[in-house]
Amino acid sequence: MTTRRGFLRGLGGAALALPWMESYGAKTLTSGVAKRMAHFYVPIGVVRRGFFPGEEDATIPKGNLGSLRRSLDKQDPNFNVRSLDQLTPTMTPLSGLKNKINLITGMDRTFQQGTDVHAQCASCYLSSAPPYTIKGTAWPLDRTLDHLVADVAGKETPFSTLEFSCNSHKDNKESIYFDNISWYGTGHLAPSVRDPRKMYRRLFSTKEIERYRDVTDLVLEDARSMKKDLGYADGQKFAEYFDSIRSIETQMDRLESMKGELAKVSFDEPAEAYLPRGEYIRLMGDLMVVALQSGLTNVATFMVGPERWDTPYLFDGLFDKPMSHHGMSHNQTKMIEQLLKVDRFHMEQYAYLLKKMEGVMEADGSTLLDNTLFTYGSGLGDGSTHQYNDLPIIMAGGGNQVKTGQHINMPEGTPLANLWLTQARMMGVKMRRFADSSGEIEAVKA
Amino acid sequence: MRILGLAFLIFLSALNGAEVLEILHENCAQCHGKGGKVKGKVNLLEIADLDHLKGDPELLQEIIDVIDFEEMPPEDEPPLELGERKQLLAGLEALRFEAVSEQKAFVPTPIRRMNRFQYHNAVQDLFGLKCTVYSLPERMIRDHGGYFKPASGKMDHLVKVGSRPLGKSQLIEPRLAGVAAFPQDLRAEHGFDTQADHLSMSPLLMESFLKLGQSITGSQDFGPRRVGIWKEFFILDPRDKREVKVVVRERLQKFLRKAFRGRVKREVVERYVGFVDVQLARGVEFSEAMKLVAAAIISSPRFLYLYDGSGSDGDGFELASRLSFFLWGSLPDEELLKAAESGELLKEEGVQKQFSRMLKDPKLKRFCDTFPAQWLQLDRIISSVPDPEKFPEFYFLAYRDSMHMMMEPLLLFETVLIENLPVTEFIDSSFTYRSGHLEESYGKLGNPAQKRRGQVVALDFHRVPVEDRRIGGLITNAAVMTMTSGPERTHPITRGAWLAGVIFNNPPEPPPADVPTLGEKPKEGEEHLTLRERLSMHRERSDCRGCHEQIDPLGFALENFNAIGKWREKYDNGRKVNMEGVLFRKHKFTNVIEFKDVLLLEKERFVRGLAGHLLTFSLGRKLSPADQIALDEIVEKSAIEGYRMKSLLREVVFSKPFRAKASQANK
Repeated sequence: MTTRRGFLRGLGGAALALPWMESYGAKTLTSGVAKRMAHFYVPIGVVRRGFFPGEEDATIPKGNLGSLRRSLDKQDPNFNVRSLDQLTPTMTPLSGLKNKINLITGMDRTFQQGTDVHAQCASCYLSSAPPYTIKGTAWPLDRTLDHLVADVAGKETPFSTLEFSCNSHKDNKESIYFDNISWYGTGHLAPSVRDPRKMYRRLFSTKEIERYRDVTDLVLEDARSMKKDLGYADGQKFAEYFDSIRSIETQMDRLESMKGELAKVSFDEPAEAYLPRGEYIRLMGDLMVVALQSGLTNVATFMVGPERWDTPYLFDGLFDKPMSHHGMSHNQTKMIEQLLKVDRFHMEQYAYLLKKMEGVMEADGSTLLDNTLFTYGSGLGDGSTHQYNDLPIIMAGGGNQVKTGQHINMPEGTPLANLWLTQARMMGVKMRRFADSSGEIEAVKA
Repeated sequence: MRILGLAFLIFLSALNGAEVLEILHENCAQCHGKGGKVKGKVNLLEIADLDHLKGDPELLQEIIDVIDFEEMPPEDEPPLELGERKQLLAGLEALRFEAVSEQKAFVPTPIRRMNRFQYHNAVQDLFGLKCTVYSLPERMIRDHGGYFKPASGKMDHLVKVGSRPLGKSQLIEPRLAGVAAFPQDLRAEHGFDTQADHLSMSPLLMESFLKLGQSITGSQDFGPRRVGIWKEFFILDPRDKREVKVVVRERLQKFLRKAFRGRVKREVVERYVGFVDVQLARGVEFSEAMKLVAAAIISSPRFLYLYDGSGSDGDGFELASRLSFFLWGSLPDEELLKAAESGELLKEEGVQKQFSRMLKDPKLKRFCDTFPAQWLQLDRIISSVPDPEKFPEFYFLAYRDSMHMMMEPLLLFETVLIENLPVTEFIDSSFTYRSGHLEESYGKLGNPAQKRRGQVVALDFHRVPVEDRRIGGLITNAAVMTMTSGPERTHPITRGAWLAGVIFNNPPEPPPADVPTLGEKPKEGEEHLTLRERLSMHRERSDCRGCHEQIDPLGFALENFNAIGKWREKYDNGRKVNMEGVLFRKHKFTNVIEFKDVLLLEKERFVRGLAGHLLTFSLGRKLSPADQIALDEIVEKSAIEGYRMKSLLREVVFSKPFRAKASQANK
């Protein structure tokens, strides 16, 4: 391993960061510093009172309003932009970062009748396809934003995208639709990595993967001849095999060419040990930051927890026994204090990553955060009403491409897809429309 | 009813299409179409003529289901009279038959990669491994004394079992060091981990497969002691004077045939022979080169993917694979491949012979390691954590009673299969398997004679007769009762939904009621109420009633079992448990035994539900209206032998959707 240690893990297990080395992924690009995008997904919505400005006295939903799927109170239906001076309690962890973020409210999605209400929150969040537009599936799920962006922005990195998940549940309670925000396409999952050790090895261990070269040539031959035996539909689906092998080959080539650079990365292999929830999330986050920083990828998604999944977690430091986030969300009248703690806890992790990115200097003197669109969001506007409207969204970073420090309230009925369109274009994707988008969020553009 | 057979109904009492449409318009359009009122998104007035109805088999199926399960018309609307209902059903079924035969084909199962469990087994069988490849906690029962002997047709009276997910050190078993699996494939909602549309490939997974291939053959344990085909495949016999290439070709031909489950074209064989050639030329040792080629072969899509080709299955190799992945969760063995090659599998007797043989093979354990646990959704018991203050007896040492509980339904399932008992034993059995610990956790319904508390490694389970019918059958097992409860109280709605989905294969619609869930503890001023009273106060909206009328009686029927499956007559507040109800709005019951009686009166529905689960599991896809006709036939035929487990399985294997090519509609 390297002699420089980027992280020291103290007795309490807290991660202490030494100054980061400058980002060198950028150097591989001729046209200055690379643009990156990352998404931080929070499951099961938030408590509206704590998160949204002006809703501190909002009605507290009683129990589970499972099929209400709209707000209890009227939100401001008109477009307006205010400066973000007073932060709500849930957003307080971002207080030192006000000039790096925009709070965007009034963004809506549409639920497609026919699945559990949670099953589309995360799985369809980044595709935001309008209901009934995707044939043959109960989920209005299309190729997600991260992959559409990576098609352009991930062409030169070893990994076109990376998927992180902080789902540490040991049981197998829910299906894939509750546990994934990143999809290559309908029914085609981009699986995430939950184990920091596995992610570490994926990023930094080039030794193993080198041995695959002989094999990939051979099996591709097999795949080509096999494809001739398949019918049309199967042949289409089977493209996933070619794509996967090709991605791995590219990944090998690029990792090979970055070998020298990667050897300088000062990051210890995570130890195999139980980590308290906060530390675990931050360790996964550190890995995401180092991957973005070092040019291993330009696009990442980060799920801080799975949707629904009733199994209790131990939120160390918050509660003295394991609690189910989803269970609590159906009982705001009683559990509102605890839920606010969870919301705030998730925000602290987001703030931690923002600061981390801000501390990384890039080749041209800007910071990693300046060159990353890093968005916090949830697929539900509230965990009890299960509303798909008025989602909690915070967009950070973006440097001089973005005008920051604002609370932007979009007019009623603005599709979330408008934000995705805005981000895709900022990332250099030429795109006329994204899902049901009706325009861009002009107010975030500098 | 259905069981009488389609033909009979069609000729004697079915309504014709026009009459069916008339009834639907007259009786149902009040809420489904008239004046713009469209409940449940079904607008019957939109169906102008018969062709329209016949063109929509899904809608037909939906209508058949709600009428068959007496969900419609709802309780507060005028009922259909019994005869009328039967005639209407028969008429609808005839229409569905026509609709489906017009469509001709079954829905295809898409090409899919093997899931984690199948891959494990396929690798194990391919190399003849005498240990596991990597740990699979999803195989819940660990067999400690070799009790699983399907050929004997008998289960032992004493079986030693361990719980892999919850027992002590039960995941420590001989395996290949240094091999790490990819994450477990999640079970589809109301489905299985075999469902094709959930099994796709990604760079991350592909990397896992490549890594797996190399780490398996590269493991320090991958040698003569563990690998059955070590000598015949990996070691060059010095007495063999032939050219090495000839030997390699001969070995690869055999190996590839097994790995790829059928005839392998010459060019494919040559490709792999060439690969070994290159390795040998580089100076790689023979065994090493063979390990490398084996690793490559198990990364080939021909190994990793399950699919039917677009041509006809002229030899039966595809059927052989379907059979073996269904019953063994793995590759066909040499005998099955031979049966395909010789054309034996194209004949009924041939299939019958192989089917009977497969059921006697120890590999049948793999079917028992997946189907029953997923069917019963037993994974839910792993995360059940009753409140330790309210239920301290649920916890012992560092463990939970659920470790013992989860064995009971699984052992009942295995016994019914091995001993070929009627599947109605799942509702109401004359025996069960209990450990001393489990006996005690049942409280009054346990048999304290066999006390041996606290086993955590190998658990002794004894076969005991069920003399008290309150406890026979898996529906009242402590495992089921616990996993369908919350930490502090029972959840009758969850139990009802479990019975509807698992036992009758008719899961309620997903969105939960548009009302707050009931708190775990009663509100102030409600302490004196029973759970049922609290729930009915709590549920006010009329449009919730449709579903709840169906699932509530099912769930409340089991209220005598508390949140950890113990019998109770009274709630904590002293009020008597009231579990009375009416099943399918027909059969009254006033206690659990009567409840089991009325479930048995509806046994055709249960058998049909189970057959549907089996077919879904085996096909790797959701069922469509065309499959419903096959289900009717499966039920009808398995009735002849009294719904015995093996005849049910046999009829699934002989059903049209199972025997049709998965890709037939996929041209």
